[in-house]
Amino acid sequence: MREPDATGDGGRSRRDVLKAAVAVGGSVGLSACLDAIDGGEGSGTEAVPSGPEDLSTLPTRQFAWGEHIRRDEFGNEQLPAHQTLLYLTLPGEGPPTADQRATVETALTRLDEAYAWSHEGLLRSLAYSPEYFDRYETALPEPLDIYPARRLSPFETPEFDRQDALLHLASDRPDALLAAEQALTGERASANGVDFDAALTDVFTVDDRRTGFIGAGLPAAKQGGLEGVPEDGPVPDGSPLFMGFKAGFARNQAPEDRVTIQDGPFAGGTTKHVANLRQRLEDWYGEQDFTQRVMEMFSPMHAENDWVEGVGANLEDGSRVDETVATIEEQATEFGRVGHAQKAARANRDPDGTVKLNRRHFESADDGIASLHFPSLQREMSEFDAVREAMNGQDLTEITPAVRQRVNNGILEYIFVRHRGNFLVPPRDLRALPTPDGDAPQ
Amino acid sequence: MRRRAFLSGVGTAGALALAGCREGVETRSLSGPPVLSNRPDAVYFPTHVEGMAMTGRADAGEYAFALMYSYPHRFWTVTGGEVTRTPVEEADDVHLMATVWDPETGTVLPETGLDVEISKGGELVSQEVIYPMLSQPMGFHYGANFGLDGDGEYEVTVSVGGTNTRRTGSFDGRFGDPARATIGFEYSQSDRDGIAFEETPDRAGDPTAREPMEMGMPNSVLPPADELPGDPRGTTETGDAVLAVTTLAAPPAGVDAPDGGTYLAVSARTPYNRMVLPAMAVEATLTAEGTLCGGALPRTPDPDGGYHSGAAVDAVPAGADLELRVPTPPQVARHEGYETAFVGMPPTELTL
Repeated sequence: MREPDATGDGGRSRRDVLKAAVAVGGSVGLSACLDAIDGGEGSGTEAVPSGPEDLSTLPTRQFAWGEHIRRDEFGNEQLPAHQTLLYLTLPGEGPPTADQRATVETALTRLDEAYAWSHEGLLRSLAYSPEYFDRYETALPEPLDIYPARRLSPFETPEFDRQDALLHLASDRPDALLAAEQALTGERASANGVDFDAALTDVFTVDDRRTGFIGAGLPAAKQGGLEGVPEDGPVPDGSPLFMGFKAGFARNQAPEDRVTIQDGPFAGGTTKHVANLRQRLEDWYGEQDFTQRVMEMFSPMHAENDWVEGVGANLEDGSRVDETVATIEEQATEFGRVGHAQKAARANRDPDGTVKLNRRHFESADDGIASLHFPSLQREMSEFDAVREAMNGQDLTEITPAVRQRVNNGILEYIFVRHRGNFLVPPRDLRALPTPDGDAPQ
Repeated sequence: MRRRAFLSGVGTAGALALAGCREGVETRSLSGPPVLSNRPDAVYFPTHVEGMAMTGRADAGEYAFALMYSYPHRFWTVTGGEVTRTPVEEADDVHLMATVWDPETGTVLPETGLDVEISKGGELVSQEVIYPMLSQPMGFHYGANFGLDGDGEYEVTVSVGGTNTRRTGSFDGRFGDPARATIGFEYSQSDRDGIAFEETPDRAGDPTAREPMEMGMPNSVLPPADELPGDPRGTTETGDAVLAVTTLAAPPAGVDAPDGGTYLAVSARTPYNRMVLPAMAVEATLTAEGTLCGGALPRTPDPDGGYHSGAAVDAVPAGADLELRVPTPPQVARHEGYETAFVGMPPTELTL
């Protein structure tokens, strides 16, 4: 479990302990973490920035992360390096009470006070499932395009996440991430100098806890001993993801405005699909050379024209995938393969070229298995389904039998859908147990 | 039972055959004899023959599954016209094979995708999408080499994908959904090493194939060309494959042909043992009485005439000329003896 940035004296650095603690989680992980924090190393421990004096200055959109995180030299968003997903259930049946709402709002307000809305502090959102809204007699307003998660390919058999709520925490600071989680789950009384007089677990129970990471160097550092990644450690040091390429190029991401619900009681919200995909990269790295990986990740055109170098940093702020969409069938016939990105892009553009989905995926080593947590934001949930159907590429298997259901068909051979869940991310003023008609009476 | 009889696959279920073969077989190198240097561009008898052992079977959804294993061995994958050898890796312990069929008609289903998840004591050992594959004794199946975690009890979960291609006859509207089943697998290296294995230098390279192995489950043999439903119209050959043509007086259920017409079906099969050759592109041009029609024939699983490529046409009078082209050969991986056949497949013609 040694990280490459361990201190030279043979012990684990404070950063190592913290990163490991996020993955381990629970009180064991946290106590190790707190020991490190309280150990008084002093130097190199910058204070975690606190929330604003005036909480009304916080964004109304819970998913307004893009302006508050790092960007690389090309303007590509760099998601927070460490992230946690807590799947929460309300005990019993029927709608929650006003008291429960007040408790949730108090806990989240303490979080607002404790942590700056940034990658150096803590980014967060609390989303609710369609199943949560089924607790009420009234239905969600008709125009709202959200529904329970369902199977999205003819070859997957996922478990569906039907818990009531999903808390998403993200930070570049593993100590902030852990302390915030611990305060919200009642395992510590204060975090970053703020006393928590309420916890989410006063209302919810934690049904599942999933963690992850993203950023150049982290997948390479974590690949050792991980099930799903070849033992010879093929993940390049510069790659933010296990599959060896950059993703989420600025010009291939939906602007936050594009994913924002415009009208109705949840205006200012968005829909959020979260999948978990197990990764099996033996054949990705073992049977395929770099050119074939470029074909399957981007497109045969990318490989043919040498558009991708290394992890793809040379692509700067755009993957060039739009140039490859029109001739996808000809490429399938000529090369016997199609690319993941080019398939998905077919359904991921407005007529004016605007991208529909804002993808915020990150890697995981939970349970010692390489997987990908795949949150995607979109104005309408069915937009996600359409992109996934395009990514399935089943139409292309009819163009040539060389493209099969899951072989030579983008990256489908290497990913196995384990979970799918659909959620509504309400605007900030409705984040505490909202009603279907867009109220949160306390 | 004589060991030779099992190797040639005469009428015995695998588990029984395995027990019969376990005694007195010597430990051997897993690499097998080298690939022949002078392979014909046709079906040939392999350098060695292996038995296999039945692991178990299960039903789930609309499907029946069987899981078998043998020694890990080399095979060849096919993408377009490119054939790539997959050697045995040091970590490989077994070659796992799965067959999926329709329990109602006993028809092997070749156009599903399939993945296999292997766990031991709740711990993940492996998970892979495995290859559609052709072998002489089994015909069409799914297979891949896997490394295991020593002797012991494994659970193998086989997941089949819904079929995307058109289905006809009683298959119309079926097999659209995925399903999965878990089959227990008690593995030991000594059991594996008891599976029959014999080098066959005297026959290797001969233009013939091993006999189909009887495993107590459906295999992928197609009906004889002259016993196809409808009006069998003859056969032609390309790339050592036999293309059998039949016409039906009306398109079967599942074919989108509002004007009716005659249905032209072409089924591709191996020589010697009529194993189905699926997942290939077939185009046809029909010339009759000065008129000409042509186009692609969609891949079509069907319970009556078997898997074929077919399309509705106006009429197919006697004496019509049919040209068949194969722009993409069967996109299935190959066990030894099939890797040079069914790859280069020039256009071929027959008079109906």
